[in-house]
Amino acid sequence: MGERYDIAIIGTGPAGLEAAINSKIRNKNIILFGSKELSRKLVKAPKVNNFLGFYNLTGKELKNHFAAHIEAMGIGIVNERINNVYAMGDYFALMVNEKIYEAKSIILATGIEYTKPLKGEEKLLGKGVGYCATCDAPLYKGKTVVVVGYNNEAEEETNFVSELCGKTYYIPMYKGDYKLNSNVEIISHKPIEIVGEDRVTKLILDHGEIITDGIFMLRDSLSPSQLVPGLNIEQDHIKVDRNMQSNIEGCFAAGDCTGKPYQYMKAAGEGLVAALSAVSYLDLTKK
Amino acid sequence: MIKEVNDKNFDEEIGNSDNIVVVDFWAPWCGPCRMLSPVIEELAKEMGTEVKFAKVNVDESPMISSKYRIASIPTVMVFSKDTVKETMVGFRPKADIKKIIQRNL
Ligand SMILES: Cc1cc2nc3c(=O)[nH]c(=O)nc-3n(C[C@H](O)[C@H](O)[C@H](O)COP(=O)(O)OP(=O)(O)OC[C@H]3O[C@@H](n4cnc5c(N)ncnc54)[C@H](O)[C@@H]3O)c2cc1C
Repeated sequence: MGERYDIAIIGTGPAGLEAAINSKIRNKNIILFGSKELSRKLVKAPKVNNFLGFYNLTGKELKNHFAAHIEAMGIGIVNERINNVYAMGDYFALMVNEKIYEAKSIILATGIEYTKPLKGEEKLLGKGVGYCATCDAPLYKGKTVVVVGYNNEAEEETNFVSELCGKTYYIPMYKGDYKLNSNVEIISHKPIEIVGEDRVTKLILDHGEIITDGIFMLRDSLSPSQLVPGLNIEQDHIKVDRNMQSNIEGCFAAGDCTGKPYQYMKAAGEGLVAALSAVSYLDLTKK
Repeated sequence: MIKEVNDKNFDEEIGNSDNIVVVDFWAPWCGPCRMLSPVIEELAKEMGTEVKFAKVNVDESPMISSKYRIASIPTVMVFSKDTVKETMVGFRPKADIKKIIQRNL
């Protein structure tokens, strides 16, 4: 475990970058998580005409301006995906697989790329639906389990599950070669709905259904409430006040993840407010 | 301050308590459980006089775990005698758990 940062910023779209430069201007010790291409949405935009000061730019050009700006200010990007953020009380623990980063405050600027939950998924969470196969597999000894996997990493977890549970089904949500144990049954139909009253009973597919005791959903992009357990969500977005403060003390959010409209300027503006709020929060807690 | 409880002494420890009991269902191989345990410890320090805190290792206590239908860990339950008052699945921030305990005092 390394140093404890003042502010950890998750996301390198306009919201996260604007938060980073303002935190840096205020002399905070920051860490910024995201990717070198900054934001896929930025790179994809054909023409941007509503970003003040820049007329008629492509998304790529705008991205290059952003990249030059943070570089000039000596802000680096840690090219890692955060799996979970735990609010420990007076600090946050940010998990990247087995690694843990610590920060006194966090700014969520993750955009909105996550896939929507299946019908019934949220209702049955913890009642047969789980997101951590390695955590919960031993509770399904001898029982039937379905793993819905959105990427190759899910295959390894599925193999682990199949060694502990009874019958294991795997539903891949991507194309590829699946490296699975021979006792795992691959299903090539899409999941539609999870059914059960106080426990999961079955998974309905676009073609047929599976009677099962447990379902693990292993997605590559996490919804904010999965990323930060305990976070309040309202209409699919992180609920924030005018200071971009979420329901968790010291946790702020900015950009598309807080709600519409989905625009660069709004995202950047919120990133600025979130950074200043995080700075005030840090000043208050120091006293 | 946190009582380790298992299949054998669960009913006695939880059912016979005059205070409400907060039970943390965990296992050593579960990452989120490891993050939650220091949070529960802090709460036990703060609220230990009014509330009893206990933990159950689900590996070692399969009967209790299946009786209370633990399907995901960590799960934290608030008991009053032998009645489950609250169930929290997954990691929760300290302030959330505290609020939920307090409304059962
Ligand atoms: C084709 C297209 C054209 C558009 N044109 C315009 C336009 O002309 N004008 C306009 O104003 N808006 C436009 N938009 C909308 C604009 O792209 C978004 O509103 C804006 O990018 C939102 O910024 P953001 O910082 O909130 O999130 P994003 O730009 O989505 O950035 C989020 C970043 O966080 C990263 N991230 C997410 N989760 C994690 C994690 N767990 N760990 C680490 N990193 C993570 C992501 O990889 C991503 O890099 C367009 C969008 C598209 C798709």
